Amino acid sequence: MERDKSLSGNREYTNGEITVYWKPVACVHASYCYRELIEVFDPSSRPWVDMKGAPTARIIEVVNMCPTEALTWKWNDEEKNTAIDINQTNHIKFRRPELLKETGKNRGEEPVSVKVMIDGPIVIKGSFTLVSKGNTKDIKQGLISICRCGASDQLPFCDGRHRKVGYTD
Amino acid sequence: MEEEEKIKPQAVIEILDDGPLVISGNFILKDLKRETESTPGEVKLCLCGKTSTRPFCDESHNK
Ligand code: SF4
Ligand code: FES
Ligand code: FES
Repeated sequence: MERDKSLSGNREYTNGEITVYWKPVACVHASYCYRELIEVFDPSSRPWVDMKGAPTARIIEVVNMCPTEALTWKWNDEEKNTAIDINQTNHIKFRRPELLKETGKNRGEEPVSVKVMIDGPIVIKGSFTLVSKGNTKDIKQGLISICRCGASDQLPFCDGRHRKVGYTD
Repeated sequence: MEEEEKIKPQAVIEILDDGPLVISGNFILKDLKRETESTPGEVKLCLCGKTSTRPFCDESHNK
């Protein structure tokens, strides 16, 4: 899904996995980006950034080459943005920390994380509505584990018994 | 306190009796065993163990 949304002269583009920010005033036209990856950064087309043009890892690599803060990026999964390696030079954490705060403002709208654990339960983290046995409950910033092995004494929740029964996926 | 107010449920998680876990809304699904990550919008995850399309429900729970 592509988004091209104006934000005080700046733009952002996403492929669902990462968001690339474009800050035109900071662009010095060193042109690294389109020399490296014309499939994504093509100044002759509108919008000039096509997030479908290359795999995520390659886009990150090229964004990191931009010598200014004209091109920066972040993971859409906010959890991943907390531990960014220093060699990810153009992650917004290093180039445009003000954007990190901005995403912090949307805290209440972070996607719920649903993890299917290896040979174990489904771990759900975030803010969501839980419906079970006719009861509806709103859970804010919570964490629950739903049993997949069927052996739990606390169904529908996991109580760790999947290990004892040797449950495998 | 103010923080709390702003938090809206982002997804609906429904545990069906003798059936799957149905999730819809704004969520990221990660399957650690099969190393996949997606944002499907709606999904049914098997809780009965009979499915042949793990981690998803394939309606085998009816059998
Ligand atoms: S690499 Fe950065 S500064 Fe150079 S043209 Fe691309 S966006 Fe502009
Ligand atoms: S998955 Fe943990 S007890 Fe069933
Ligand atoms: S819950 Fe539907 S196949 Fe297991």
